[in-house]
Amino acid sequence: MRNLLVRLAGHLVRALVMIWVVATFTFFLIRLMPGDPVAAQYEKLVQQGMSPDAARNATRLTYGFLPTGSGWDQYVHYLWRLLHFDFGRSTQTLGVNASAEVLTGAKWTIGLVLAGILISFALGTVLGVIAAIRRSSGVGDALTITGSLFHAIPQFVMALVLITVFTVIWPVFPTDGNVDILVDPGFNGPYVASLVSHASLPALAYALSMFGSYLLTMRSSVISVLGDDFVLAAELRGLTRTMRLRYIARNALLPLFTIFALTIGFMFGGAVFIEKAFNYPGMGITLINSIGHRDYSTMNATFLLITAAVIVANIVADLLYTAIDPRVRRGGEAVA
Amino acid sequence: MVTAVEIPTGNTPALTPARRGFWRNLWRVLRRKPTRVAGAVIVALFVVMGVVGPFLYPANLPTDPGNAYAGPSGSHLLGTDFQGTDVLALLVTGSRYVLVAAVIAAACTVVVGTGIGLYAGYRRGGPDSVLMRITDFIITIPGLPLLLVLSTLWKYSNPLTMGLVLGVTGWGSVARAVRSQTLSLRERGFIEAARGLGLSTAHVVRKELLPNVAPYVAMNLLISVTVYIYLEVGLFFLGVLPFNENNWGVMISQAVQNGVTQTGQGLAYLLSPLVAILLLTLGIVLLVDAMDEVFNPRLRED
Repeated sequence: MRNLLVRLAGHLVRALVMIWVVATFTFFLIRLMPGDPVAAQYEKLVQQGMSPDAARNATRLTYGFLPTGSGWDQYVHYLWRLLHFDFGRSTQTLGVNASAEVLTGAKWTIGLVLAGILISFALGTVLGVIAAIRRSSGVGDALTITGSLFHAIPQFVMALVLITVFTVIWPVFPTDGNVDILVDPGFNGPYVASLVSHASLPALAYALSMFGSYLLTMRSSVISVLGDDFVLAAELRGLTRTMRLRYIARNALLPLFTIFALTIGFMFGGAVFIEKAFNYPGMGITLINSIGHRDYSTMNATFLLITAAVIVANIVADLLYTAIDPRVRRGGEAVA
Repeated sequence: MVTAVEIPTGNTPALTPARRGFWRNLWRVLRRKPTRVAGAVIVALFVVMGVVGPFLYPANLPTDPGNAYAGPSGSHLLGTDFQGTDVLALLVTGSRYVLVAAVIAAACTVVVGTGIGLYAGYRRGGPDSVLMRITDFIITIPGLPLLLVLSTLWKYSNPLTMGLVLGVTGWGSVARAVRSQTLSLRERGFIEAARGLGLSTAHVVRKELLPNVAPYVAMNLLISVTVYIYLEVGLFFLGVLPFNENNWGVMISQAVQNGVTQTGQGLAYLLSPLVAILLLTLGIVLLVDAMDEVFNPRLRED
């Protein structure tokens, strides 16, 4: 228990350092931008006749940055704002906080990606077990190659092929957006149906591009478990094939939980291509649009949230592994 | 960003097949399955396309606005784009940017990753922990969002800079995997013997350790190429980079922006680069499958 706490503390310190480094990086990135947008905004306001103090406050409200003063002051002020989760205002949607902008996108991304992750996890583990058991036959080979191929196929290729097949050649799904705007929002049949039909293809594209890594990991994990003594013992005890498979699958699933946690952590940044292809208004689209509009506050908020999620997921994955695999726990040191 | 392949550490007899001649072994393994020969042929064709292809066409491809979005025909094998340019010509001339950038990025990844991995794993101690912290950092930062944010500052104007930026952000997992392999190798007898003989560190690292991680590194080189093609074409697809040079990503982005997925007109224009990426990825995956068997005979069943 004490070991666990020490590790948790170590993780937290490292996570905070990492988030600080990333935040510092984006600070310098935005300040190094050609024609420094913060200074430009400030000077524009001053030229329009605003007093320097008023212009300074107005710019600070927009960007969450001080436009003047020493670099150090600006930097400290920026970090102070971040500590209060204040990312400034969005410049593409006037009057909206950057954090609100990001959360709107996050809502759609979470639904889409969770559905995709669950489908791919189920598909990948089942096919992975088959690929491992039949690894010397054509079926196993074909599954392994399919897994590697789907793992390597870019998400946008997957998405565009699905779009071509299911909306152009055989139009059964809507092409873009998250919901039919003509339907009344709320918990009613048509609205839910519209939500589901809009999310089906993107979720499928995500699932198809993800199941390969589950398949490959499950396959190699099952193969290594197959060599364990307890499998032989189970066979000698005359347990049925299904029973043995359950033993094997339970042990082989362990490494997959790590990937599972990491995928969840990467979900905010993981569907950028799919959201773009389907014009699905998630966080990926928020990020791309903020870059297109040079909306640095929103860009900064999105990037920091994506990174923070990945960092947190790394910690969770590590702790989760300790929790579910007693063999790792004993020494207090991660073996994996 | 690059997902490192699983490496069997420990008692892998990695050197044995290499001594019998890598190329002869590769050929033997390739022949065992026709799919692997197909993979090698596909990769070879794309390499030829990238090297020779652009010389076959004029620098400025002819346009014919009256004949936009034509379907495949005798004069235009893959149809035409939104301004009547031959899609096959676009595909062939655009392959060089994609391939050159991906190869530079992969080479960068492998050189930096292997160098850091070997050094950290062999030296251990202080330099090791510092390098591994940096590696963790590189691995943790989500690659694509980082590249997107960097695109506001950096214009990735030619394949060289594109490749370097991709490579610099993607060497983490190779470094970590090479380090862990080095850690297990340095405890083995032959390394101990080499050190006992008083051979220099440079010798041990280059002549003893490197050959043992080389197979793994070679496989990662190929896999990295697919990952970087994915990323660079993706950046163009997302439309955050200026279209100053024709390549597959620009083709896909233009096709989507010109409404091919809405109207279904000019499907050949959209699908050609997609199929090219699919084929190249398939070719590399099949080739990696073959190399896997050359280097890890243990992986074979029984």
